[in-house]
Amino acid sequence: MNRPMKGPIGGSFGSGAVALTALSPGQSGVVFQILGGRGKVQRLIDLGLVPGTRITVIRSAAFGGPIEISVRGTNLAIGRGIASRILVIPG
Amino acid sequence: MDAQEEEKTIEIALAGNANVGKSVIFNALTGLNQSVGNWPGKTVERAEGTLFYKGYKIRVIDLPGIYSLSVYSMEEIVTRDYISSRNADFVINVIDASALERNLFFTFQLMEMEAPLIIALNQIDFAEKKGIKINVEKLSDLLGVPVFPTVAIRGTGIDNILNFIIDVKEKKKEFKPAKIEYGKEVEEAINLILEKLREYKLKITKYYPERWVAIKLLEQDEQITQRVSEEENGSDIVTFAEKIAKNLEEIHGEPSWMVLSSERYSKANRIATEVEHFERRPKKSKSEILEEVTGGPKLGLITLIMVMVAIFYGVFTFGAFLEDLLTTYMDMFMEYTRGVLSDILGHFGSALIVDGLIGGIASGIAVAIPYILTFYLIISFLEDSGYLPRAAFVIDSFMHKIGLHGKAFIPMIISFGCNVPAIAGTRIMETRRERLIAAMLSVMVPCSATTVVILGIVAKFIGILPALGLYLLDIILIIVLGKILYRWLPGEGTGLIMEIPPYKLPSIKNVVIKAWVNIKEFLMIALPVIGLGSVFLEFLYVTNYIEVFSMIFNPLIVGILHLPEQATVPLILGILRKEMTLILIAEAFGTTNLALVMTPVQMIVFTAVTMIYIPCIATIAALIKEFGWKISLAMTIITILLAVFVGAILTAILPLFLG
Repeated sequence: MNRPMKGPIGGSFGSGAVALTALSPGQSGVVFQILGGRGKVQRLIDLGLVPGTRITVIRSAAFGGPIEISVRGTNLAIGRGIASRILVIPG
Repeated sequence: MDAQEEEKTIEIALAGNANVGKSVIFNALTGLNQSVGNWPGKTVERAEGTLFYKGYKIRVIDLPGIYSLSVYSMEEIVTRDYISSRNADFVINVIDASALERNLFFTFQLMEMEAPLIIALNQIDFAEKKGIKINVEKLSDLLGVPVFPTVAIRGTGIDNILNFIIDVKEKKKEFKPAKIEYGKEVEEAINLILEKLREYKLKITKYYPERWVAIKLLEQDEQITQRVSEEENGSDIVTFAEKIAKNLEEIHGEPSWMVLSSERYSKANRIATEVEHFERRPKKSKSEILEEVTGGPKLGLITLIMVMVAIFYGVFTFGAFLEDLLTTYMDMFMEYTRGVLSDILGHFGSALIVDGLIGGIASGIAVAIPYILTFYLIISFLEDSGYLPRAAFVIDSFMHKIGLHGKAFIPMIISFGCNVPAIAGTRIMETRRERLIAAMLSVMVPCSATTVVILGIVAKFIGILPALGLYLLDIILIIVLGKILYRWLPGEGTGLIMEIPPYKLPSIKNVVIKAWVNIKEFLMIALPVIGLGSVFLEFLYVTNYIEVFSMIFNPLIVGILHLPEQATVPLILGILRKEMTLILIAEAFGTTNLALVMTPVQMIVFTAVTMIYIPCIATIAALIKEFGWKISLAMTIITILLAVFVGAILTAILPLFLG
């Protein structure tokens, strides 16, 4: 799972990807890659975080708590540890 | 069952994501006519009910709320096995109209399994409020599946589904499970594996649709790949599928399973875009203010604390009111039966039955119904409204400090009412390791019975501050224990991944049904063990064998904890129900004014021990049901050791503060 993955929507996102935790509330981005083993990655994919999907950060909880994002018309809370392994292209 | 009767029986299953109103539809269909159990061999809840409609007996199975069939949880395994068993005449896929795309992802997986699918397009009113209008006919055409719009909370549309089912059964309508096709490249890969499967005629295709097996092999699904490789020539197919998967991987630059998930989502997106019509952008609404107040970084925590205080206040004022009412009637009933039975059975027999069996069960009910029912009503309301996930969201970082994540907050808050339902509530955790930690910590949470003791002894005779101090002590113990378990138990922690559903106004009917089903489950676990335990202990009491136990435990209770001798029996009997310690110690001393007979230190130690030691017998029964007797025994021993340890320390250091 360590080899780089190309997003499915044309072109290659060579650089510019940041961890989801780097986005602040209100900011959007496109999922680039999720780091981790199949089990953990599949759970996120099942919930709609397929590479190429547009997400928006809604809010983040205090004291290093989770991040709430909006994806495909639903809202998800994602713990900070997991969120730091979701790479997104901001914008 | 004769043929005629069989014809008149239909089995339907409800499948869908969490938070789509599936249980509301289930409750609307079956009302109180339902039972909750476990799936065979699994600790996954199985809710089942029946309804009678137009001369048919319809069995309804409520499948767990899940997002996928990729088998990363027991809920997904159970669903997969059930669908492939072909027991269901119809599978009703409940989908949330306001989140069509995400829901269709799961629908496609049901279609891959060639389930006899009907779609209930639920919460259509809510979607409209969000400005989404859905072309139902077009959706049905594109999927090849009958679609019925419903508003489950008001019961709208459910009859249409039932009528359709009956019509199909009476052959007035044609019905064929729809199939699903993906993009050209993926289809080619699936078909290559499919041909090979047909050629080898594997047994697995008798249990599962062959195309589905092909898809799972392409996805490198662990369970199916394993099963295929166990068959004769199976490993050939596995190797072949690996080659095809590799090929697909090279084209797309991502693993084959991710290619398929992407396919499903892009198809879901295409269909959703075609059938959805956005009327207007929803404007900032009241619910957004509510979101900020309950989910905002600082505000959310303040709200959470206020909600918890309100829950306790509600439970203890309304619960106490109900308890007074109930105990009055229970006492009258006990006195009456004592009068009748002592004539027949004599003093010994009537004591066993009246004080043991009836007394035990009666006070079980008197405690269960008032506090736990009130608590369940509040929790069900908060659950249906959507508040609980917000609470889990704001408390997540704190829960990480005790080795868990935000979701564990839900069983732990339930524990404040009663530990029994909290044990089953730990199922929302993803791994067994986390379920164990959550259960151990939930058992440490003071339940309503323990709170009665804390209030009745420490708060009443010493003051509210020492009582709060005991709570604080308990929280510290939970944190320390959580940290230790997190470090010691094998495996690693998982983080929080949870949907935050939109706020909804709960249906009172649904809240009441939910509370009732939970109470029923509680009584089924608790009453038998409380009844039997009460008879046994009453026997020890009447025969004076209890003295033997006192002699065994006296060195511990008098010697180490410096408690009066009279405390021994109450602490032994407290295993039945914790508030018994308060009642019995007052009886043992012959006064309810404990301040006259115990020092403040003794009262605090006695209460602290009651709070920490041994989960009550009903909790132990729940633990055995959930985790087996070994783990229950281990947890019981841990709590006893902890109670003695803390009691001994308090005995040593409290005199320095209290003089």
